[in-house]
Amino acid sequence: MSLYQVEGLGVGVVDRSLVHDVSFALEPGECVALIGESGSGKTLTGFAPFGLVDGVRLTGSVRLSGQELIGTTEVKLRETRARDVGFAFQQPLTALTAHRTVAQHLVESGAAHDRQVLRALLADVGLMGDGLADVLRRYPHQLSGGQRQRVMIACAIARAPKLLIADEPTSALDAESRAGVRALLRRLRKTRNLGVLLVSHDLAEVAQDADQVVVLHQGRAVETGPTRDVIARPQSVYARALLGVGGAESALPIRREGGTAKLRRERRNTHTPLLSAHDLHVSYRQPGWRGHRLKAVDHVSLEITQGEAVALVGASGSGKSTLARAIARLGPCDSGKVLWRGELLPPRHKLRTSQRQHIQPVFQDPVASLDPRWRVCDVVAEPLRAFAPDLTTAERDARVLAALEAVELGPDYTERRPQTLSGGQAQRVALARALVSNPEMLMLDEATSALDALTARAIVALFMRLRTERGLAILMITHDEPLARSLCNRIIRLEAGRIISTDS
Amino acid sequence: MLRLIATRLVIAIPTLFAVITLTFIMIRLAPGSPFDGERPLDAPTRAALDAAYGINRPLLVQFGDYLSHIARFDFGPSMVYRDFSVTQLVVQGLPVSLTLGGVALLLASMAGIASAVVATRWSGGWPDAALGALATILTALPSFVSAPLLVLLFALTLGWLPVGGWGGVDHIVLPGVALALPVAGAIHKLLRAALADQMRGDNIRTARARGLTPFTIITRHALRPALIPVASYLAPAAAGLLTGAVVIETIFALPGLGRYFVQGALNRDYPLVMAVVILYAALIILFNLLADLAYGWLDPRIRG
Repeated sequence: MSLYQVEGLGVGVVDRSLVHDVSFALEPGECVALIGESGSGKTLTGFAPFGLVDGVRLTGSVRLSGQELIGTTEVKLRETRARDVGFAFQQPLTALTAHRTVAQHLVESGAAHDRQVLRALLADVGLMGDGLADVLRRYPHQLSGGQRQRVMIACAIARAPKLLIADEPTSALDAESRAGVRALLRRLRKTRNLGVLLVSHDLAEVAQDADQVVVLHQGRAVETGPTRDVIARPQSVYARALLGVGGAESALPIRREGGTAKLRRERRNTHTPLLSAHDLHVSYRQPGWRGHRLKAVDHVSLEITQGEAVALVGASGSGKSTLARAIARLGPCDSGKVLWRGELLPPRHKLRTSQRQHIQPVFQDPVASLDPRWRVCDVVAEPLRAFAPDLTTAERDARVLAALEAVELGPDYTERRPQTLSGGQAQRVALARALVSNPEMLMLDEATSALDALTARAIVALFMRLRTERGLAILMITHDEPLARSLCNRIIRLEAGRIISTDS
Repeated sequence: MLRLIATRLVIAIPTLFAVITLTFIMIRLAPGSPFDGERPLDAPTRAALDAAYGINRPLLVQFGDYLSHIARFDFGPSMVYRDFSVTQLVVQGLPVSLTLGGVALLLASMAGIASAVVATRWSGGWPDAALGALATILTALPSFVSAPLLVLLFALTLGWLPVGGWGGVDHIVLPGVALALPVAGAIHKLLRAALADQMRGDNIRTARARGLTPFTIITRHALRPALIPVASYLAPAAAGLLTGAVVIETIFALPGLGRYFVQGALNRDYPLVMAVVILYAALIILFNLLADLAYGWLDPRIRG
């Protein structure tokens, strides 16, 4: 008998089915990974059987230590959650209640209210040692990301369950804490004979930890088997794409370096700069009575020609977003001037409507940057109310549909609201909103970094297509240099508010 | 935290000064005088009264004189309630108002918080709908309607409680409840919305994953941060309740401070109005400070 056995699991909401016929089994001490992009149903498959997803209908069979979970009462499921299974979630900062201390979190999770026990538990997840003497009394926000995730894992194993379900436990962490948490999970599997169900979007990363993988695509298990076999001989087109191996390019558009020569040629043909910024300087006042001014952008000049894609690359705090916002006249600017086709762009509050139309932004977190109360058609139509107030309703609707079509979304999206969209779909809506007023330049502020790898690739391909089709100039802000290299003609590196190098 | 308290106390001085100055100017600009009655006084009497209370002097002199007096906590004599100083009047009325307001605040907080928690526990069910509707009615119902209804039922029909007046504990119940009802309704509305917001958080899923009961999840994980908007609302509301509720005091014939607000202003009893306004402003400043301290307890991230 397996520790955890899923057979023919289906998850559906009122009118449609989201997960179909997924089966796998997990033995004690084993690690099974559920792999898929956002919207693939991997989180549903992981959590819905335990009653952690509201409003879904479950079919099939899910047994934990022989006990059937589907069809049991909420009270029984609550007992199961408390006793037999532990959970670790993706964002340990938001997933741990902010006003409860580490000790309170542990005790609530079932650890005995005893200093010695709590300390032993923390030591077991590597949270003891120098500078951590008072860790029990700390609040989650007083810990680092890696430490928080360790606290969450300590909570999950407080009642010594046989199964741990971890949803992207490392994806919100930096590389070092990521390795630490993965090592911790490996150790717990060995020392406690803990079965781990790992939910992830990154097949390559889990490959080293998982014994078995289940690759999910659109709610179906497209590939199931020992990790070694799946990695070495992926059978489905989708798994190949996830691994980025040969033959995948045809299935999913991925841009390689080959196109840059052509881009460079295009650039030589146009001489008038579309936009030129001279000697921009932006500083922020630091908080306090007489805060010093912090130079965010330090006398930077740059030019962008029509149809050119320029990337601003730099670490966080290098001033890349501030610079781009100053150029697009969306943020503050102390001095310097910005010319649009040779015409001076005034500061933000003096911009004429027609001048605002030239540059349209797309931001990092697509779901957060859309108003949750608005329908997609309202979001996309909003710029038209300002830039083209004379349009009739029919004309406006036509423009909205055209913009949605340009980002590969059908007319059935118009009535939906942001919460019902996946990250990739929401970013397409944000892009449609930017395109609807026919701008000549797009400002992409980390527009793909909140998306998983596959969705990001599809969005990048969309940017590329729009750039060639419409001759759009692109100013892209990113910390991802390979991405910038594949999409842009020119890469400008920033450090401490200054340009340190330019590649073309 | 000490720094916050110290900063607020320092800022309180210019704030109070501004309040005093503005009130002084406004009440003096209002037509009429404390000695205007049904029948106009003859000129010599009038001049003698004005001279006795010093209101014939230039305004600036009077203002300077007033400031120097209140700096010594001397709020002057009442110009209408002869033989009483303003301090005596306030000391008589304040305990009544503080007791009534305190009872009302306590009742309103307990009822509002309990009903919002219950509504959230059965979110979307009939208790949620019923309590929501009740809260709307209570918020909308003016006290001059609800208070007589309460009197009719509990004092006149059932005879359980006195109709009015001030004395034992039973005298506080009806006015306290009448004063608390709209506040409880407002707390319910604010807290219900904030709880709904909190219950959408990722931390709630973690709490459910630990197998906690819905009630524990709400009270332990969602309630504290959800109380932040309630604290923002209650700070100024508490200052209002504690310094007197004119309508309730009138209906129940209570010797509180509220009537001094209204009568003082109508009678142009300059020192009385000034004293009541200063008390109210000081309480507003105090309660806003308490609310700011409460935020830090409700959400430790605010403490930094």
